[in-house]
Amino acid sequence: MTALILQSLYSGLLSGGSYALIALGLALVFGTMKIINLAHGEMVLLSAYMAYVMENRLAVNPLLATPLALVVACLIAVVVYFLVSRISRNRELNSLILTFGIGIILTNAALIIWSADIHSTSAPGFQEPVVLGPLYSMRSELGFFVASMVLVAALWWWLSRSWYGRAVRAVSSNRDAAKLMGINPHRTEVVSFVVAGILASVAGVAIYSTGVIQPALGASLTTKAFIITVLAGIGSIPGVLVGAVLIGVVEALTVTLYSSAIQELTGMALFLLVLFVLPNGLFGAARRRG
Amino acid sequence: MRVRVLIPLLVIVLYGVVPFALAGNNYVMSILVAALIIAGVALAWALLGNLGGMVSFGHAAFFGVGSYISAIVTMKLGVPVFAAMLLGGAGAAVAAVAVLPALRLSGPYFALAVLAYAHIFKILATEFTTITGGAGGILGIPTLPRVLGYDFGSKVGGYLVIVTIVLLFALVYARIRNSYYGYALRAMHDSEDATRVVGVHSTLLKALMLFLSAFMTGVVGAFNAHCINFLEPDYAFSSGWTMLPVVAAIFGGYRTLTGPLVGAVVVYTVDQLVFKSLIPSGHQIIFGVLLGVMILFAPDGLIPLLAKKLQWVRQPRGCRDPRTESVC
Repeated sequence: MTALILQSLYSGLLSGGSYALIALGLALVFGTMKIINLAHGEMVLLSAYMAYVMENRLAVNPLLATPLALVVACLIAVVVYFLVSRISRNRELNSLILTFGIGIILTNAALIIWSADIHSTSAPGFQEPVVLGPLYSMRSELGFFVASMVLVAALWWWLSRSWYGRAVRAVSSNRDAAKLMGINPHRTEVVSFVVAGILASVAGVAIYSTGVIQPALGASLTTKAFIITVLAGIGSIPGVLVGAVLIGVVEALTVTLYSSAIQELTGMALFLLVLFVLPNGLFGAARRRG
Repeated sequence: MRVRVLIPLLVIVLYGVVPFALAGNNYVMSILVAALIIAGVALAWALLGNLGGMVSFGHAAFFGVGSYISAIVTMKLGVPVFAAMLLGGAGAAVAAVAVLPALRLSGPYFALAVLAYAHIFKILATEFTTITGGAGGILGIPTLPRVLGYDFGSKVGGYLVIVTIVLLFALVYARIRNSYYGYALRAMHDSEDATRVVGVHSTLLKALMLFLSAFMTGVVGAFNAHCINFLEPDYAFSSGWTMLPVVAAIFGGYRTLTGPLVGAVVVYTVDQLVFKSLIPSGHQIIFGVLLGVMILFAPDGLIPLLAKKLQWVRQPRGCRDPRTESVC
């Protein structure tokens, strides 16, 4: 039993990697534009389908789809930005409905193009087991976990050191003051959207390489990313990482101990608990006091 | 007053003309009934959005809970169908209690929290197999009964019931909107803090709107269950029950009373008659397009747009602000 629990902790940790990428993208856009992009999961979804197309139509390694996924996700991100920025009033709620609509369009486009079938990779080498002591994983799971951690580290560096990263943080904390300091808020917003697209594209390829995809996945990824950001509290990269791993672990434990059918239920129960007890998130409260 | 003429006319058309004109055409009648079901949910959604100031992406939860409760109490406890429908609504309102902690979240966060709730209820319905029949669903849910010799289980009977439900809801909505509470709720849109200062219990009011909206959605869900006589979790809690009302309300204008109703009938009928045959799988793409176009070009919706174009209603004094919905 201990071995099983240890194993699910490990698997949960690994799936937390791509969740973190998705949630960070959502949080980044929320930071600069104060909107929740409900089409965010669909950006990930279409990236995943790019990997599927590369493997099944062109018969190449799905990893090679990353540049294509990058282009598609960033393109969607820029279009979403362009449309959202055209909303003139009551932007908070109207943008929600608009991105909800974009999500519907993208999900149904995937449905029309690729049908509702479930797809997964059969590329050689992806499903080979990697053994770390008592722990097992697929090679692709471990590889993408490492890749996402590298990407998160890069994001952290970018946000704390680079000019644009700091501009993103400045616009997030006070848009008007940032503008007075010579930061172009519009350009910064586009940059945050594009970075979210980059993270989403890698997450999409990762999800196709390690699991199964279908058109309905997009909406559930958005919900999951949102839950993670609520768990984390806004504005904390370590918080999002912990939240993502927490969701991954809780899901994996549920599958091991109970059944895969209620996998999503426990994540949401956790979300409700946090909402009741710590409305600022696991990390938000401490930060606010500080 | 134009309204005094319009309402009796509408009632005559809805109860006198439509049932007789379409009585022979079961296909059109069932589309109309389905459109009115959407209209009922859209109205409840718009009530929460307009009066409560909350956008919800989880009305499927209330719809599903209402339908399941009504189906179960009629089949297991032998409760009469019409009473069971009310119980379904009450059950949905009780389910809304679970959503209460989300009330402290602001706009977008509330919307997404409710979305998460909808997922939870769907999973619960799938997992509580002893009560709900699990993924296999419930078969043979009783149809609407025969009352005073009239069979409400027929297509026209079902139509009369749902029309009555929707009209009653619209009446309740209008009453609330013009009451003290309506003013308080409207004031909360501008500044919730200021409204609290003058002694309005804003959280309580929002909670009441949530309960009412959930109740309405639950009743409509219950009606649907008795109308199609079959339930399964993926159907009862389908995200379509959230999406269609949102599209209908946004299309028609969710700050008006007539908007969601007209929107539901137009959107649903056009979708069923045109787009479903054009794009059998994925025809819902058109809803996404519609949402985008409306938000970008006519965020107030169709009815206010038409009213402005046709100068239907003279603007009464003090009602210049479109948000105070003088239209309708």
